[in-house]
Amino acid sequence: MSKDFIPYQRADDFGTPASTSDRIVTVTIDGEEVAVPAGTTVLRAAALAGINIPKLCATDSLKAFGSCRLCLVEIEGAKGLPASCTTEVRAGMKVTTQTQRLADIRRNVMELYISDHPLDCLTCPTNGDCELQDMAGVVGLREVRYGYEGANHFAAEKDKSNPYFTFDPTKCIVCSRCVRACEEVQGTYALTIDGRGFASKVAASQNQPFLDSECVSCGACVQACPTATLAENSLIEKGVPEHHVITTCAYCGVGCSFRAEMKGQEVVRMVPNKDGHANHGHSCVKGRFAFGYATHKDRIKKPMVRETIHEPWREVSWDEAFKFAADKLRAIQKKYGKGAIGGITSSRCTNEETYLVQKLVRAAFGNNNVDTCARVCHSPTGYGLKTTLGESAGTQNFDSVMKADVIMVIGANPTDAHPVFASQMKRRLREGAKLIIVDPRAIDLVRSPHVEADYHLPLRPGTNVAIINALAHVVVSEGLEKKDFIDKRCDLDAYKDWRTFILDPRNSPEAVEEETGVPAATVRAAARLFASVPNAAIYYGLGVSEHSQGSTMVMGIANLAMATGNLGREGVGVNPLRGQNNVQGSCDMGSFPHELPGYRHVSNPKVRELFAKEWGVTLGGEPGLRIPNMFDAAVSGQFKGLYVQGEDVAQSDPDTQHVTHALSSLECMIVQDLFLNETAKFAHVFFPGSSFLEKNGTFTNAERRISPVRKVMEPLAGLEDWEQTQGLSNAMGYPMSYKHPSEIMDEIARLTPTFEGVSYAKLDALGSIQWPCNAKAVEGTPTMHIDEFVRGKGLFRVTPYVPTDEISTRKYPLLLTTGRILSQYNVGAQTRRTENLKWHDEDVLEINPHDAEQRGIEEGDWVGLQSRAGETVLRAVITERVTPGVVYTTFHHPESGANVVTTDNSDWATNCPEYKVTAVQAFKVTKLSEWQRNFEEFTEEQIDLLRRARAGQPVT
Amino acid sequence: MDVNKLVRMANQIAANFEYGPDKEKAAASVLDHLRRFWTPQMHTEIIEYRNRGGTELNEIAAAAIAKLAEEKPRAA
Repeated sequence: MSKDFIPYQRADDFGTPASTSDRIVTVTIDGEEVAVPAGTTVLRAAALAGINIPKLCATDSLKAFGSCRLCLVEIEGAKGLPASCTTEVRAGMKVTTQTQRLADIRRNVMELYISDHPLDCLTCPTNGDCELQDMAGVVGLREVRYGYEGANHFAAEKDKSNPYFTFDPTKCIVCSRCVRACEEVQGTYALTIDGRGFASKVAASQNQPFLDSECVSCGACVQACPTATLAENSLIEKGVPEHHVITTCAYCGVGCSFRAEMKGQEVVRMVPNKDGHANHGHSCVKGRFAFGYATHKDRIKKPMVRETIHEPWREVSWDEAFKFAADKLRAIQKKYGKGAIGGITSSRCTNEETYLVQKLVRAAFGNNNVDTCARVCHSPTGYGLKTTLGESAGTQNFDSVMKADVIMVIGANPTDAHPVFASQMKRRLREGAKLIIVDPRAIDLVRSPHVEADYHLPLRPGTNVAIINALAHVVVSEGLEKKDFIDKRCDLDAYKDWRTFILDPRNSPEAVEEETGVPAATVRAAARLFASVPNAAIYYGLGVSEHSQGSTMVMGIANLAMATGNLGREGVGVNPLRGQNNVQGSCDMGSFPHELPGYRHVSNPKVRELFAKEWGVTLGGEPGLRIPNMFDAAVSGQFKGLYVQGEDVAQSDPDTQHVTHALSSLECMIVQDLFLNETAKFAHVFFPGSSFLEKNGTFTNAERRISPVRKVMEPLAGLEDWEQTQGLSNAMGYPMSYKHPSEIMDEIARLTPTFEGVSYAKLDALGSIQWPCNAKAVEGTPTMHIDEFVRGKGLFRVTPYVPTDEISTRKYPLLLTTGRILSQYNVGAQTRRTENLKWHDEDVLEINPHDAEQRGIEEGDWVGLQSRAGETVLRAVITERVTPGVVYTTFHHPESGANVVTTDNSDWATNCPEYKVTAVQAFKVTKLSEWQRNFEEFTEEQIDLLRRARAGQPVT
Repeated sequence: MDVNKLVRMANQIAANFEYGPDKEKAAASVLDHLRRFWTPQMHTEIIEYRNRGGTELNEIAAAAIAKLAEEKPRAA
């Protein structure tokens, strides 16, 4: 990728948002003709022409407000002095932006502002980066005739409650940009202007400290603030940055583009990129603020090895680590066979790194034992969408939601897990789109400020397929399907079979009401609403995929979308919300044991030949082991060596005790990570990985968008992750000699038709690219399946409901479902090492008041949670967010042991674990579980073994 | 590998392909699935289990694995 350093300057700001009109209007501004789309404001039109009208309350991320009166202009034939931010262009309009009269008014306005503003510019955190300061200069303010002795706000106290930013009300000019950002950009409505006139002030919730308020710490207000009133603590501490680099967030599947604003190799702040195609200048608490983990003291910076997991680590050179690992792996293969080793790629790593790990496994290990953590999240999406539509990916871009008339959210909690997209979705909902939520819990979207679901279907965990079939049953039985679409776009024989199936009365809402717990009338009403509008879109998450019928549910969703004609254009579609940043990419890159890059089955000899030729090896045509199969094979002694890049299976995968049994059975495990994570405690080789700030590469988000990841600092351990994989490969005797990840992407493009047109040069030029990108779609594909499905005709698949084996019994009467929260990410390895702990320092058990009372459980009590797999102890939070019979927790903290309780039950097609349904019992206890006590002991031992490495031997 | 898990997986696959009277079609789908997603070692172990009687396999899974055994006589 091109040189990345860009000297620091504030992002361009055109004052008001762009107009989307196709009609062009020409106006004259200061004698210059300017042609802009109708609906553009005079302020923006001028800015586009390079004429900067002074402004304070206007910014192009927010609707015009017209309060500061700095942007007044003279318009020929118009009365008075209109504010240019609220005045739209008209054909032939003649505007003058600079006259003596305007200058006098602007100076007077600034004089008033400054009369109640501390004059400490030289020691102010935003000195040199302050719009108020700029405007004082622009209007030529030279004196403040009012003095500073009158009433003012200089004594107002700072609010430092938020760990990431400070609110200094003495510097506030009450422009409302923060309040409007909270409303318009984030959609939380946590801020308001309290009081009137001179007493007006910005207040969080009910005049509470920011941390205690409804504020979600997304940073939109900080970004919108034109002064130092809301400023990042890191900026206050370090000063204004000197350069910035555009890169991509390493948290969730939204894949926000950020400006890493830097001083040398130190990140001062991460600011969402206004030109970011996925996020359009918005962010969440994780991407915006929680980057401190990258330089946390727990980072491991030297490679380490050991013979057994109960001896101290030994710090070694990179070459020694590669040799140690390679010798072990080759010895295992010699003793147990070629197939006794394998690798796990990471959805947290780049496409190039993932591609390289699967290449290492296939070409150097000589087998197909490669899998990815997508196995435990979205593998059913791959199976279901490939089967029905022909491509293992979501069908839209995020912006498509702005054209949806009905949004159906199934088993996803976007405000917590995909917050930036949730804000966009909420914007559309505030514009009037209807909302259907299918979720056992009353997630925030069910009812939040200015958003309320039209229908909430609070189904019993495990009954997804019954519900989706019932919805489709209503559509077909009431004649609401889009026959033209089906006739033209779908396989009619398959449709006929499906139609017969779906019309079976056993699929009616009434028939499944008892099973699902959702009133039939609600299901019918929701189905009618979904089928009645021009554009209906489905968004789903792990509440769909992480079930014993995850794949069936994905196909059921595709069936419903096809039956109602909701595919192949903007505003519709089947949209999997991917959990981690590069879930889509890791799947695209051939991480599955049955598929080479581009979702091509290993049994296809032509595809194998293509790769064999490029890689100079012979490739196996039989599928390899999936992650759960690897664990089973390890326990039975058939699988002995594992290379894990950037994953923490000992915490994230289900049935922890089975996983750790498997890991303990390995003769060599190589873990590549930033920290000594739970898995690494069972490892023999540790490769210290590099964070997203320390390497080049690309991530592919939930909308198939490939975005550049750019190095802003040198890798703390000396090597980027792809270089580490390359080192291991070379040590194993399979040569790799890439000089830069761009060469890896070039190889991917050579071998993968959907990536044919992708290159770093094109990514530099376009900013991001949605695959497929090839000769047919040179700049990528925002919407898939437009004229025909990738597989040709859309395939309706019969989706019989098969109840899960995980059912509530007398012994285990409750159903546990697991999920995520806003401030923490996945296993928490990153976010637990940031101030995000202020919001969530432990995992808790949500339990309905009815179930709690029956068990004598009170708020905050220790609760034992027991399933057939194991037992753990969590604190109780009593809430009606969960229905009676259902309990809920998260798995962000290892000591919580949420996955000690989850079982080995999995999706029939893909073995994706059934995290969302575990039959459990809950009861009041007074001490931690046996597993937790053993965990504490083992953790202490492993930390000690690490400490001894750090204190011990020199690097050899 | 734990053959009980393989049996459970095979039965689960069969249950999801079973719809209507055409058991042969369902068994063919199960067979295709096993070919596409299971490793040779898993094939071998489930065939061995089936050859030992395979009592816990449901009808469709058993039919699919019988065909798999025909395809892979060496595994049996």
